[in-house]
Amino acid sequence: MFKEYFSIAWRSVTSHKVRALLTTLGVVIGVSSVILLLSLGNSAKAEAEKQIRSIGSNLIYVTVSDPIGVLPTIWLDEIKDSAKIAYYSPMVQRPVNYDVNGTNVEVTISGVNEDYDYVSSLTMTSGRFLSSLDMKSNYPVAVVGSKIADSLFGGADPIGQILVINGVPFEIVGEVAARGQSFSGDNDMLVYISYDYALNLFSGRAFMTSYYITSTSESTVNTTLAKVSTYLDSVLPSSSLYRAFSQSQILGIMDTLMSLLTSLLAGIASISLLVGGIGIMNIMLVTVRERTREIGIRKALGAKRSQILFQFLIEAVIITLLGGLIGLGIAYIGAFLISVLSSFTVTIGLDTVALALLFSISIGLIFGIYPANKASQLEPVEALRYE
Amino acid sequence: MISISNVTKHYLMGDVLVKALDGISFDIAEGEFVAIVGPSGSGKSTLMNILGCLDIVTEGVYKLNQKMIKEYDENDLAEIRNTSIGFVFQQFNLLPSFSALENVMIPLTYARIHRKERENKAKALLTQVGLGDRMYHKPTELSGGQQQRVSIARALANDPNIILADEPTGALDSKTGQEVLALLTQLNKQGKTIIIITHDMAIAQYAKRIIRLKDGLIESDTRNEESDV
Repeated sequence: MFKEYFSIAWRSVTSHKVRALLTTLGVVIGVSSVILLLSLGNSAKAEAEKQIRSIGSNLIYVTVSDPIGVLPTIWLDEIKDSAKIAYYSPMVQRPVNYDVNGTNVEVTISGVNEDYDYVSSLTMTSGRFLSSLDMKSNYPVAVVGSKIADSLFGGADPIGQILVINGVPFEIVGEVAARGQSFSGDNDMLVYISYDYALNLFSGRAFMTSYYITSTSESTVNTTLAKVSTYLDSVLPSSSLYRAFSQSQILGIMDTLMSLLTSLLAGIASISLLVGGIGIMNIMLVTVRERTREIGIRKALGAKRSQILFQFLIEAVIITLLGGLIGLGIAYIGAFLISVLSSFTVTIGLDTVALALLFSISIGLIFGIYPANKASQLEPVEALRYE
Repeated sequence: MISISNVTKHYLMGDVLVKALDGISFDIAEGEFVAIVGPSGSGKSTLMNILGCLDIVTEGVYKLNQKMIKEYDENDLAEIRNTSIGFVFQQFNLLPSFSALENVMIPLTYARIHRKERENKAKALLTQVGLGDRMYHKPTELSGGQQQRVSIARALANDPNIILADEPTGALDSKTGQEVLALLTQLNKQGKTIIIITHDMAIAQYAKRIIRLKDGLIESDTRNEESDV
């Protein structure tokens, strides 16, 4: 029986192709924008998580605000002893501009210690990272990100090259593998030098120092964070003077924020689904009126109310489901275009697809029930008389 | 098989109470060929709607196959229309976007008959009314007479006892009209109860019994000696 309803409804839809298409346009737009926004949000979230994880999930950040700004080495050593810390590194950053054949190239100088490569999970492609000797000696050396060779040295091997920073010549001793973009900018346009040198070059505490601390394992992050906080509470006059948080906390916050943003956008987009639904109800009411005589004939031939109701309800669902499928197709094209035109990959999850299709079916049911019920309630005598 | 006693049907048309049927009684036995005649406004269309279970009486009793129609609900009435009564309308009332075959299959669909069987039965019926070669034509591709034959085939789909024909020749020329009437006569000979509603006495002459209506009342109910039994 269902097959019959379906074939009757399908015939009715296909005999008014343009009308059906226009009717379902709202659903098309709604479904495609909801899918695209949800997928964009989810992909952005996944991308951000991937980046944060690549830096290390047992990472803890500490910043100390003015007037203290930096943590004395004694404190850091004490923290290292008391909390289960594997490595730590201070970091201070400052942008420096170079003129390469008339074009301006901005490079970020990053003052760190010899453990920063462990802390940030850096991989070397050639040469070595900064060593503890580099920290103590006065000989200026630098390690560069993967894009520096192309940007500043015309693609030549950077090892052994001299990079002048604020008038001081640095010898490049190593190159780090590509790390990609992060919130703070392009990680591959970084130049790493010793922390003390950086402080000297950029006149003291002009920029806030961050401390990167790694716990011995991922499972001890929270204990380590608690111990670091306890220590800082004991040495600083107020807990408002410092901030300490772990990578997983950032991840959590970001997750919440992104989800909120995504659902907000999808919510706005789903308004068009509502509008689309009202459009469908409107057209279905017109259809019922137009086909009053058909309904009368069907009733005279033995159609029950429920059978008429189903016929029109299924018709509405077919229209919205069709709109959902077209919307899905558009969303896929959109995702493909975004992936091709930007470096950002948008993947449409199966759950998103299921959700969108479920939504379009529900809209057909919700907005189709009133017109279908109206059709089923028609009196056969009246309906047969209708011209 | 059909028993009408003291049936009235009143409508409210604006503020005016219209007594379309004002207390009529008659019986129709199985296998009869009855013409219900009367001028427009005599109540014959109302009577046809009541006999066809498309409408219900205001007062009085309509029994079909010994059952009180008034006691049935909406779904039961749909089932009676589907299986016990075949309708033939003046304007054929075929669904325009469906082929002749599909039109004949509609009542079979509502009777929940299996697809293959439905198709075979509809094909047999169309062949029976002489349209075996035009089954896949849409109503617009058929002449008036052919369309009316499709609707007769459709009326026969679930093998009902009663065929209710409302001005079956009203939209046809006299020659095709005669063909349709001949078909109905033939069906009567095969045992179907045929009820024709018409304003045309010439058409009523085909029936074996003529019930004349006037102003919602039965004017006469006579055997028709002229019919070629």
